[in-house]
Amino acid sequence: MTGSFPAAMLLKSLPEISLVILAGLVLLLSLVWKKRPPQALTWITIAGLMLCLLLALLFALPVKGPYLIWGGLLKIDVLSFLFRMIFLTGAALTVLISVERQPSQGQGEYLALLITSVFGMCLMAASADILMLYLAIEITAMPLFILAAFQFRQKKSAEAGLKYFLYGAMTSTVMVFGFSLLFGISGQTGYSAIAAALEPDRLPVSLTAGIFMLVLVGFLFKVSAAPFHFWAPDVYEGAPTPIAGFLSTASKAAGFAALLRILQEVFRASPELRFGLLAAAAVASMLIGNFLALRQKNLKRLLAYSSIAQAGYILVGAAVGTPLGASGAIYYLIAYLVTNLAAFGAVAVVSSNTGSDQIAAFSGLNRRNAALALVLGAALLSLGGVPVFAGFFGKFLVFASAVQAGAVWLAVIGVLNAVVGLYYYLNLLKVMYLDPVPEGSGPLTVVFPWKAALLVCAAGILVLGFIYRPWYHWADLAAQMLLLH
Amino acid sequence: MSPAVIIFIVLALVAVACAVAMLVSKNAVYSALFLVLNFATIGVIYLMLGAPFIAVAQITVYAGAIMVLFLFVIMLLGGENLRLGEPLRGQRLIGLIFGAVLLAEIVLLLIFRSGMDQMVGTLTIDTSPAALGLEMFNKYSLPFEVTSLVLLVAVIGAVILTRVDPIRRPGKPDQDRKDQSGRQA
Amino acid sequence: MLVEWIIKSVVIVLFMTAGFAYVTLYERRLLARMQTRIGPNRAGPFGLLQPVADGIKLIFKEELVPHNADKLIFTLAPVITVIPALIITAVIPWGDTLTIGGTKITLYLTDVNIGILYLMAVTSISVYGITLAGWSSNNKYALLGGLRATAQMISYELALGLSFVGPILIAGSMSLLDIVKAQSSIPFILLQPAGFIIFFLASLAEVNRAPFDMPEAEQELTAGYHVEYSGMKFALFFMAEYIKLIAVAMIGSTLFLGGYQGPFVDQFPILGPVYLFAKVIIWLGVFIWLRATLPRIRYDRLMAFGWKIMFPIALLNVLVTAVVLVLVGG
Repeated sequence: MTGSFPAAMLLKSLPEISLVILAGLVLLLSLVWKKRPPQALTWITIAGLMLCLLLALLFALPVKGPYLIWGGLLKIDVLSFLFRMIFLTGAALTVLISVERQPSQGQGEYLALLITSVFGMCLMAASADILMLYLAIEITAMPLFILAAFQFRQKKSAEAGLKYFLYGAMTSTVMVFGFSLLFGISGQTGYSAIAAALEPDRLPVSLTAGIFMLVLVGFLFKVSAAPFHFWAPDVYEGAPTPIAGFLSTASKAAGFAALLRILQEVFRASPELRFGLLAAAAVASMLIGNFLALRQKNLKRLLAYSSIAQAGYILVGAAVGTPLGASGAIYYLIAYLVTNLAAFGAVAVVSSNTGSDQIAAFSGLNRRNAALALVLGAALLSLGGVPVFAGFFGKFLVFASAVQAGAVWLAVIGVLNAVVGLYYYLNLLKVMYLDPVPEGSGPLTVVFPWKAALLVCAAGILVLGFIYRPWYHWADLAAQMLLLH
Repeated sequence: MSPAVIIFIVLALVAVACAVAMLVSKNAVYSALFLVLNFATIGVIYLMLGAPFIAVAQITVYAGAIMVLFLFVIMLLGGENLRLGEPLRGQRLIGLIFGAVLLAEIVLLLIFRSGMDQMVGTLTIDTSPAALGLEMFNKYSLPFEVTSLVLLVAVIGAVILTRVDPIRRPGKPDQDRKDQSGRQA
Repeated sequence: MLVEWIIKSVVIVLFMTAGFAYVTLYERRLLARMQTRIGPNRAGPFGLLQPVADGIKLIFKEELVPHNADKLIFTLAPVITVIPALIITAVIPWGDTLTIGGTKITLYLTDVNIGILYLMAVTSISVYGITLAGWSSNNKYALLGGLRATAQMISYELALGLSFVGPILIAGSMSLLDIVKAQSSIPFILLQPAGFIIFFLASLAEVNRAPFDMPEAEQELTAGYHVEYSGMKFALFFMAEYIKLIAVAMIGSTLFLGGYQGPFVDQFPILGPVYLFAKVIIWLGVFIWLRATLPRIRYDRLMAFGWKIMFPIALLNVLVTAVVLVLVGG
């Protein structure tokens, strides 16, 4: 039966296949090559990820018009291509930040699990079938459960892993129940078949609404939006800092990619339903994230609440359902990737040097390492949506789409929340630049991989803030292709 | 009412009763055993639907492997002495309400989808292991491979998270948050 | 049809219980000869009424239920242990079709197309009785013995299941009747030597039989999971173990030694059960020989053996079999 695996299809999936091979290779090397230099596996992983990126550019470029492969399970279009780039870059930056000054046990497994999670994310962005989507979500989430608990000797990490796992398993279950109802209605698992069965005049609204809510539970969990955001602060605080960074950027992006696709391709016949529920979730996330972040003393927890709020902003873009909204959400996610990884990278540097990630540990950062303070400052301003930095365009596009769709109230709430957010970001800037240096703290050691990662992120923040046209063009293409089916 | 429908109703009642008993029972081991019975009943329902492979797989995997591990852990951790009462009030009420909502959804689905006379049907497609194998390795080969990866990840996680600590040298206190790497180099 | 099934089921159950009785005698005599003594020969000629005497003794013993034990499960556990042992042989064919006075009687209870999977399923659920017995006795040693037995059984189930795959691949079907028919030229033990050895060892571990009998070691664990059982309940455990022994011997003979195949079995189908019987007796003899000769394996080595040696070899066996079959042209 060699006809089911044509070479063209395998070429299109070459990046994913090579990710799996890379994971196996890293695991094997960590077992076999015991006397390796401490950062060998890190650089091998990064080389591998860049190779996958290259393979994607060479072989997996989206052709004009949608293209279903693997028997209708995956769809290769601009959305999956773009998000694949996002995930690979995010993973490479996370691997750079994960370098520790002394190598610890389990490095090979750490990297292999991270790579497997990226594989799952690429599948999530490309899924065109609820069965495939569920499996992709599982293979994305499971390595992350383990990675969050990786330092299980410390209680907080074990707590993080356990909470993430329980929450994830529970919401996954509810979402699969929704999927089973979708299957029950249409008798098939492909998105287009289900969409045909969900035509508005054939089904009572209560049924569609119920199913939509059930399916949404899983997605809202994945993007840490209210009311399924409760896991985020504890998990981000307890997990190893690079993993928290990865969770907040790549995992969220994966959730949004799948959400955007499912909104447009399955639930396209119910725009009011989509808007109503997602706008409610967006407003709740923004309010909860911003107001609860005001009181935080731990920087990782603060970043967690801030990421809940950011998820709210992105949900505004997803809620309106127009191409501008979707492209705004995608642009926001690209900007958010470099921004948040810069922030978490800086936290990793400081906590590795001082052993604490309380905000007080960052006071006077400018005097101890000016470059680090600059990078963190740029990241915070970008998160706040200040022009010239990447986050500005994200927020601008998302709120513009809300206004364009006639939901001005949503944009107003968003802007007001952005102001509140600016308060605690600027507060952090003040702590870094104006507060005195704590007693007995010396200069900070920043090893080369950290420097590389922070440099790339800072460059990304500035580039995305100045030169927005190429990125916007890609995001727009992705959004337009979503609407064609 | 054909015999098939009668048997189905009996089996369905047993399954639901076992599920409710599992939720209500105060002894964790009894809950696990009710769950085993529930799975076995579902296996028999699959058999009635004309899918013997899935029925036997259900019993082998769910009732025979997964639940044994459940019981293992419950027995090791002394699960028969659970603390009564819940820390958060009103959970049972909310649970019942949500359960009722989900039940309403299923009923709506059934009414819309096919009408109530198709309660018990049999499959007309080939469900022999050979046919299942062909489907699985042709149309569903990607999910199959991804599932194998999920299992591998689970095994890696189990091995990592239960790793034994190396011997601690005397004089070194347990470092709490010094270095983000929590174990001895 | 229904009557035929009922009669065959009764025959199987009676055969298994009578078989259990006489296997205990066989074992005691054989073990005794290997230890240069005679064994029971007082009760009836050649000790043939010994099992009856044992049965009567056990029925009259006092049945104790430990204080604070979970009464319901304590009483149910022996029953849960015996039932899978009795039903596992439902799919084993005793012979082909027999014609008595014009009516064709098939010498097998049923021929399901997933026969081997059924065996796997019943093996999986046979773990429960032991776990529950150990737990419900309210006794640390029983719990420990029960959990150890459970862990051992589920670990070796993997290798056991994989060893089944070899015959399935060669015969091209999961039905046991087809597997026996495919052995009409050569028994699979010659085509699957590794599979046979894996099955042999894994089945020894599954029935908690020496040298894998750590969970019920009298010396180490004060008899493990059935320490608190007495009287008829203990008899049921005893029965379950020996019936499982006969069952795995029958399964092994069917899968690897050719089942009811033998010379002249096509002309005289009645010879089928006779050949099967002979093969089972030989298999049981080897089991008893192993018990007499080998010391008990320590528990951690047992688990290491199951996971690190048997499981990879079983996987390799499946791989090699599949590759060879594709190359040879199945």
